[in-house]
Parts: sequence; C-alpha cells; structure tokens
Amino acid sequence: MEYLVSLAVLIGIYVILSSSFNLIIGFGGLISIAHPIFFALGAYTTGLLAIHCGIHPLLAVLAGGTVAFFASMMLSLPSLRISGDYLLITSIGFQLGLLEVIKHLSFTGGASGLGNIPNVVDGSSRSTVFAVVSCVVASAVVLIIRWLLTGPYGRVISAMRDDELAFSALGRNAMMIKLALFAIGSGFAGIAGGIYAYYYQYISPDQFEILQSAMLLTMVVVGGMGSHLGPVVGAVLLLLLPQAISFMNLPPSVMAPLQGVIFTTLVIIFLFWRPQGLIAPAQRQAQRKP
Amino acid sequence: MTALISLTNVCKSFGGIVVADHISIDIHGGEILGLIGPNGAGKTSLFNLISGLYPTDSGTISVSGKSLDGLPMYQRARLGVARTWQHMRLFESMSVLENMLVSPRDYPGEKISQIIFGAKQIKAIDQALHERALTILQRMNLTSIAQANVSDITFGQQKLVGLARALMNDGDCLLLDEPMAGVEGNAYDTMKGIVREEAAAGRAICVVEHNVSFIKDLCNSAVFMARGSILERGSVDTLLASKTLADLYFGV
Repeated sequence: MEYLVSLAVLIGIYVILSSSFNLIIGFGGLISIAHPIFFALGAYTTGLLAIHCGIHPLLAVLAGGTVAFFASMMLSLPSLRISGDYLLITSIGFQLGLLEVIKHLSFTGGASGLGNIPNVVDGSSRSTVFAVVSCVVASAVVLIIRWLLTGPYGRVISAMRDDELAFSALGRNAMMIKLALFAIGSGFAGIAGGIYAYYYQYISPDQFEILQSAMLLTMVVVGGMGSHLGPVVGAVLLLLLPQAISFMNLPPSVMAPLQGVIFTTLVIIFLFWRPQGLIAPAQRQAQRKP
Repeated sequence: MTALISLTNVCKSFGGIVVADHISIDIHGGEILGLIGPNGAGKTSLFNLISGLYPTDSGTISVSGKSLDGLPMYQRARLGVARTWQHMRLFESMSVLENMLVSPRDYPGEKISQIIFGAKQIKAIDQALHERALTILQRMNLTSIAQANVSDITFGQQKLVGLARALMNDGDCLLLDEPMAGVEGNAYDTMKGIVREEAAAGRAICVVEHNVSFIKDLCNSAVFMARGSILERGSVDTLLASKTLADLYFGV
C-alpha cells in the first residue's frame, strides 16, 4: 500500500511537470528541453528556505514556483528572439550550465546534493498526505492550463503557432506571449520541485539532468503534444511502465540502462506511427492538413 | 491636408541588392495608389519596410502623422498599419471567424493579466468583435463560411479572408499585396467593391498588383518601380502608355 501511495505522489508531481512542459512545447511551440532545471530551481529554493529559514511549507513551495517563474526569463529573454533549433540548443546549454553551477556551490550541497530538508508531515499517513497534496495540485495545474487556453488566449496562441509573422503584423506581441507561456510553465515546474523537495527531503543535481528532459519529452510526445489530457496519460503510463518492469527481477546492470532505452524507443515508435500521441489534440490541430 | 502614409527618402539594401533607393511617396485618405513594376522591383519590400518586417537604412516613414521609425511590427499595426500578404498567411488551424477575432489592433485577449482579472470585460469585447467580424464577412458575402476552417475554403475566399482580417485593424493605412493574384469571378468583383468602399471611408490604400485592369479600374494614380527606384509616377493611363514601362515589363 505504502508503495502505491508513494507512486501516487510521484504521479502527481510528474503530471504537473508534463502538463506545464506541454504548455511550453506543445501549445506554445517553443522547443526547449530545459524544463527539469526549473523543477530543480523550485526544489532547491524550497529546500534551502525550509532548512535555513523554517518558513511555512506553503510559502516555501510558492517561493520555489516564483523563483522558477522569474528564472525562466534568464533563458527566454535572450533566446526567444531566436526560435526553433537555436532555442533548443540554448536551452540545453542553460540547463547543463546551471546544473554545473549548482554542483559547485557549497550552500546547495554541491554534487552530493542537498539533504536534511525538514520533515513537515509526521506519522504513518505522511505519504498519503503528500499523495493528496500532489494530486490536488496536479489537477489544479491541468485545469488552470485548460482554462487559460480555452477562449481568447488559446485562440491567440494557436494563431501565433500557425504564422508568427502574420500574427505580429496584425498587432499581436508574440514575444510577450512566449515570455508569459514560458514563465507560467516554468513556475508550475518550480511548484512541482517544491513538493518533491519536501517529500524526498533530499535532492541532488543529477536528478535534473538530460535523462529527466528525455523522460518529460517522452511523456508529452507519447501522451499527445498539444492536448490537455495527453501529458496526464503520458506521465501515468511512463511512471507505471518502469515499475512494472522492476517486477521482472532483472539484474541491476540491465535495469539501469533499460529505462533510457525504453524512453527513446517509445519516442521513436510514436513519432513514426502515431505522431499525435495517444490522445490527439482536440479540434484545431486535428483539422490541420499535412 | 497631410498624407496618411508618408515615405521620405526611404533607402534599404541587402548587401549589394538595393530594394529601396530614396523612395518618397505620399498617400492621402481616400486615395488608392497602385504600385507597379517588374518582379524584383522592390514593391513588396516597400510594404515590408512600412509594416516593419525589417528596418530602413535611412529615411522616414510615418502613418497618420506618427513616425514609425524604430518601432517593431506589432506596434506599427497598433498605429493603424494593416497589410495583406501575397500568400495570405492565414492561421490555418483556425476558422474564418477565429482568424478575424485575433486580428484587431488592440486585443485584450492576448494579455494574461486581462484574462485573469478582466474576464468579464474581455467577454464583452469579444462579443463586440464578433459582431464587427460578421459585418465585414457580410459585406463580402462570406457569412456562410464564418465557421469553416480557412484551409477548407476556396482560394478566392481565402484571399478575401486575408483582406477581412486586415480590415479588423480598422486603421488609416491599408497595404494590399497582390490581392487579385489567382482570384476570379465573384471574389474578383467583391474584392474590387470592398477596396473601393474602404477608400471612400477615408483610408489610404496602396496596392501592389500585376493585374493591369484591376489597377486601371481602381487606382487614382500609380507609381512605377524598378530595381528599388521610382521611375515614373502619374495617372494609371499615362504610366501604361509610357515607353519605359513597356520596355522594362516586356524586356525589349
């Protein structure tokens, strides 16, 4: 039971991550894979505030989200002027560069990670409390994104994705919209980071490396890029799959690399046979002709 | 009366290729100016310079008395510069009506803060825009396809939607890039009628067009361009009778 509940915590966290990543990459069409770094910034901010300041957990998590929200502009302000492949390359550089910084700072715990994050929920129901919190926040995030994208703002974003030049020539400020999408998506990732830090009480830089980017990308691609439920399905599926495999009792030497192999194989399979993902985006994109 | 669109000594070159060489043009309200000339003369480039796709090397451009120099594209559109594109550039995943709803000069729906704090206000504005869009579509006899996806309608209808989208801007300045290319039949007459009505409403209109009879029917005067410079200007008939033009067009 405890095992299932802790899995639920993780599912909630990854639903937040994949949905917010989908907002940036699927709806915004901004090809960045640096999402885990904002997850990391949220986790570190919350962890450090919890250790050193002892502020209320809610405030610490919100602070994590806020830091990620504003930190996203460090990447987006200079690099959103360019887009496409260049944004992708800058995002990789930003993610790996910032992780190197975290690894070499003493107050973040360096490469060995940040431990001793205080426990805020005691007792036998600890995991249940976290599971409820993370799943409630995840539902809220999915609903907020859905609400944001139906109606005028959603219309504006599809227009921008369809033809940015015509969009700007009509008086729409594409840069501002991209900045906003990037910041909101990253802010949500920061909140996920905060919950993660409190739950595991230990975070280390290598949890936020490229493998994490690959995992989030797989969740979004497999679930369905640009659909609201796609990333939710993707997150649940990709968290359950490795768990199922672990019941096969394979030796650790096979298990460890197997995860990466599964992710990449899945992405390749889906890109070839079902590029729209398991859940195809509703109306608009479906109507688009090849 | 001051001109609504005013270009003074506008220059632009890309490396060795001169697309605008000291171009000065004034277009007054109610006037339809034709831009003619062979391919590569710099007609579309001039539109790109006015709408802000790229900056001028020198010279000034102003619309309704306001200087556009140094402003990005979206701010120029907000000052009333509306344009169409030769290849339409419609928002292909969206319906005709949705294409128009995102196109007015100021659209509060693009601001997150408005979406969150001004939901009621946005709803009212959206409703008003909805009605305005339908009125424009009605003038074009396109009400029946308002809900259709823009990639499912005919080429002539797409051209009209391109114009309809620009009309949502409601600005003083209308730049039409080859509005008639590939358009025939009903759409042709509708296009002509609408452009005439818009000029009568006091807008300054500039048309790049290869269709000589369209230019002849509509334009008060025309400018003949080649290799980035204005070679002649005057009434359409005079220009069409000019020997320089015939030589350049037909390469004698």
